Amino acid sequence: MNIGDFAFLIPLLPALAFVITLFFGKRLYSGGALIPIGAIGASFIISLLITINILQNPDQVIHQSVHWFAIFNLGILIDPLAAVMLTMVSFVSLLIHIYAIGYMEHDPAKPRYFAETSLFTAAMLGVVLSDNILQMFIFWELVGLCSYLLIGFWYQKPSAAAAAKKAFLTTRVGDVMFLAGIIILFASLFQAFHGEVPEGVYLLQFSEMFNHIDALAAMNATILGMEVSHLTIIALLFFGGAIGKSGQFPLHVWLPDAMEGPTTVSALIHAATMVTAGVYLVARTFPMFLSAPDALIIVAYLGGFTALFAATMGLVMNDIKRVLAYSTVSQLGYMVLGLGMGAVVGLEAIGVSMFHLINHAFFKALLFLCAGSVIHAIGTQDMRQMGGLLKAMPITAGTMLVASLALAGFGIPGTSIGTSGFFSKDAIIETAFVFGEYSHDWIPYIFAILAALLTSIYIFRLFFMTFTGKSRNNAKAHEAPSIMTVPLLILAVFSLVFGALTLKPFIAFMERTFDNNVISLNIEHLATLGNYDLVLEHGPEPLFILWLPVIVAVAGLLISYLLYYKQVIDVSKVVSRENPVYKLLYNRYYQHKIFTELLATRIVYELISLSADYFDRKFIDTIVDGIGKITMSAGNFMRKIQTGVVQNYVAAVVAGVGLLIILFRLIVEVI
Amino acid sequence: MEDILLLAPEIILAVTALVVLVAGLYLKTEHKVALGFISVAGIIMAIALTMSIMLAKTSASMFYDTMVIDPLSQVFKLVFLSVALLVSIASVKYVSEDRNTEEFFALLLLAIIGMMVVSSSNDLITLFLGFELAGLATYALVGFEKKNIKVLEASMKYFIIGAVSSAFLLFGMSYVYGMTGTTNIPGIAANAHLLVDNPIGIVAIVMLIAGFGYKMSLVPFHMWAPDTYQGAPSVISALLAGASKKMGFIAAFKVIIVALIALNAEWQTIFAVLAVITMTLGNVVALSQDSVKRMLAYSSVAQAGYISMAFVVLTPTALAGGILYILSHAFMKAGAFIAVAIVGFMILVGNKDARDTDHIDNFRGLSKRMPITAFALMVFLLALAGIPATAGFVSKFVLFSSTIEAGLVWLAVIAILNSAISLFYYARVIKYMYFMPTEGGRITEPAPYAIAMILALVAVLVIGIWPEPFIYWASEAANVLLI
Repeated sequence: MNIGDFAFLIPLLPALAFVITLFFGKRLYSGGALIPIGAIGASFIISLLITINILQNPDQVIHQSVHWFAIFNLGILIDPLAAVMLTMVSFVSLLIHIYAIGYMEHDPAKPRYFAETSLFTAAMLGVVLSDNILQMFIFWELVGLCSYLLIGFWYQKPSAAAAAKKAFLTTRVGDVMFLAGIIILFASLFQAFHGEVPEGVYLLQFSEMFNHIDALAAMNATILGMEVSHLTIIALLFFGGAIGKSGQFPLHVWLPDAMEGPTTVSALIHAATMVTAGVYLVARTFPMFLSAPDALIIVAYLGGFTALFAATMGLVMNDIKRVLAYSTVSQLGYMVLGLGMGAVVGLEAIGVSMFHLINHAFFKALLFLCAGSVIHAIGTQDMRQMGGLLKAMPITAGTMLVASLALAGFGIPGTSIGTSGFFSKDAIIETAFVFGEYSHDWIPYIFAILAALLTSIYIFRLFFMTFTGKSRNNAKAHEAPSIMTVPLLILAVFSLVFGALTLKPFIAFMERTFDNNVISLNIEHLATLGNYDLVLEHGPEPLFILWLPVIVAVAGLLISYLLYYKQVIDVSKVVSRENPVYKLLYNRYYQHKIFTELLATRIVYELISLSADYFDRKFIDTIVDGIGKITMSAGNFMRKIQTGVVQNYVAAVVAGVGLLIILFRLIVEVI
Repeated sequence: MEDILLLAPEIILAVTALVVLVAGLYLKTEHKVALGFISVAGIIMAIALTMSIMLAKTSASMFYDTMVIDPLSQVFKLVFLSVALLVSIASVKYVSEDRNTEEFFALLLLAIIGMMVVSSSNDLITLFLGFELAGLATYALVGFEKKNIKVLEASMKYFIIGAVSSAFLLFGMSYVYGMTGTTNIPGIAANAHLLVDNPIGIVAIVMLIAGFGYKMSLVPFHMWAPDTYQGAPSVISALLAGASKKMGFIAAFKVIIVALIALNAEWQTIFAVLAVITMTLGNVVALSQDSVKRMLAYSSVAQAGYISMAFVVLTPTALAGGILYILSHAFMKAGAFIAVAIVGFMILVGNKDARDTDHIDNFRGLSKRMPITAFALMVFLLALAGIPATAGFVSKFVLFSSTIEAGLVWLAVIAILNSAISLFYYARVIKYMYFMPTEGGRITEPAPYAIAMILALVAVLVIGIWPEPFIYWASEAANVLLI
């Protein structure tokens, strides 16, 4: 018996836990929390064992598939990329579920909470281990649905209901693009086979997709007078899906609002797992990006811009969870930027980006859980009403400090001393430097460095405002129960040491993703298709470049220290409605005005929707109703033929025979 | 004599029927429930045997080439037996307080034997005998509630039209014999040119179509069906729609496709006209029905129209699609009628003298009163409409796509438009069940009804989600027809 044979249990167990908890949770301990925990724990163990197996034999990946309806299949593909992701998702989800026993203790709707988070975990695991893109899309949508349910968990609050709707609709924009990409992909592949798909070939399987990249690259379409390869269109549409799910500019607007859900939900969905689905999608289909001209450059720019853009807004938020939300958007920007660097470093980009994804999952889940612990203790999310919590909550403060250091990226270059965030973010920044060096395009690097400075400032602003100074709140704060602090400590350990322990082997492991018994690709050939010059060997970067990220991180710490701890200048003077920069940032670049009021309300709703609605009601409906009425009255007329008199029936039979004979004669005459 | 073992399923059913009949004479009414269990056991044994014969892919001809065993006959026998199983399980409850239980089950088993004989027959005479055996048994079953005027009316109409149709059938057969000199179906096929060349041949064939079309409920031979399905006890309607109707199809497959395939081109057009008229009339009239059973009857007429498309297309895929459709329809329709029977039971519990128990108003808020029944009925209705993940979708998909492959796009378009119309009246019942308020409390389904309904539900979903084995056997059966 091979452990891989149990792979199907990974998403199945949490899905079963969902059903059980939903129906029987009320009668079980703590709203049935133990069932999802058990199920996810089992999923974690299976994932971990599979990962260990694949670590030993990276070219023997797990691939199982059952076909359905001759042209579609259901399947499992666990290669290094998926294995690592599965382990991370199940592990973080497990810890957050345990923490939630404490955090959600007083909520009456606990069974629903645990059922939904369990379903969410199942869906996310499903996204990760799908072996074809259609199945991935189905789970992807399920993830979106769960996120909608969980953001609106406290649906009695109008703001929560609105946030849920906003998240759903915004990500929908990306999902539609993703689906369009799948459709174009299918149509193009079908064309590549000239409509004759051999038995046992499933077009939407990743292995088939990658094997036919050459054919896809050869197809061109003309859009606005430009020759664009089908591959580029498909890759960018997939990236559109990733933009929605992973909160990249301009579809990031839902993520900060998503903080209306319970903090554990924010930790689970909006920090550690769901939002990484977009990054995972790009990594999963990376060979397509690599062979699509220009696609990776767009990815890199958008990621870099998002990293910086979100960090500026993180500077001025007063809601502790919103700061973290913008931080998530910004860090996701780093990951996307890292993937874009594949234009120069090839598959190493996946390693770099995934490494940050994993580390980020640890420290961001930790940050959110710490924030949750604080909110649990004093009952507010506004940092202006916090302060001085260091003494009351030493464990929370300590773990929060660890997480902040990891997020800001503290460490010593050239040694293996450093937080995990240091190793992973540094790797991305260094890759961006390599990119600049070889392509003479320094913009991604500049974005990355500036964002690193801002990251350090906003996270320590958060730390100082929350834990130091005088208490600005009357609530009597206390440390959280151990069911909450133990997960914090575990995550803190991972945030501290995971990066140092695994850096080199991790990236090398990720690079093996597309070289195994199922998928074996010639990366250099693909890069030629995409017009990218890969740099296979890049030596150690100059000392200054190695130290620069740490220097900006320390600078950020100092700035925050001076402003928010020592208060050398009165911050409240700068922070006033008169200051145009502050106003711009605080109003989040007037995104609400631009996106919601102008774009959504004025243009889409009033201009397009209302006129379409008018057309639909007046014109289409008349036709449709007319057809309906005609059919109905035809039915009423024809039922009268059915007289109920048996003599008439016999007459009909005899007449039918006669008519058929005549009809047959006629047909014979005609033919 | 090894051959006779291949008829073991029929023999077991016949023995069971006799045992039930005789045992019933000595049992008190309250103990007669045992007869139902005996019948169910007999049917299960017959299913097991039929399946083992099918899986062994046995082909044989026996009794001087009047009977054959091949995948086609076995698949249809399984359809009949499955419906018989569902109906007899449900009937354990339906006839539980009747003193004529033994007659009911004996007739049910005999009807099934008749249908099985039809599906095995290789000769017009055996075919006609089986046809009549099943017909006579079902006439009596429809009229089983002898004191109920409506039931008697239904039975009477069924019988009169049945007699007329049998006359047509026999008349047609005698012409065929007169012109080809044989009643053996392959023999007729060999001499088909004699029929084609003779004007009387056309009359003969149209008479055969009328005879079979009555069972298949093709327009204009369908007119008995709504009255009978509505008037008959719901479990018997399930038997008629699920099994008896399919007997018409297997007979038509055998005689018209195997024997008269030479007439191909002209018949395609005739059947195309019949199929289009049948499906359109069935769907359009179903729109305005307030009796759910009558609605299901017209839907059954419409479905016969879809299945008849197999006669038009005549490719292996189309025939496989038609056979798959027959299999799926047996479960969907039988399940739906059983669900209606449960609703009737519910209404009668509340009011002993209630009439028109299948009126759509009685389905209001069913999801609150009987959630399991409401859910199952919803699935059956969605399956009938052809919604994915149900058997109805798979069979429609195979059948319609084969039509398109054969270049008959116009026919497929008409069929799909018809499906769209049909969704209206199916969804209407779902609306009543789920979105309308109700009075009256929760009622538990009687176990026999519930078991039969859930079996049908499982079958509908299994075929819908994992259709490969069913498509495979349908294709095996279709191959027999086209050799």
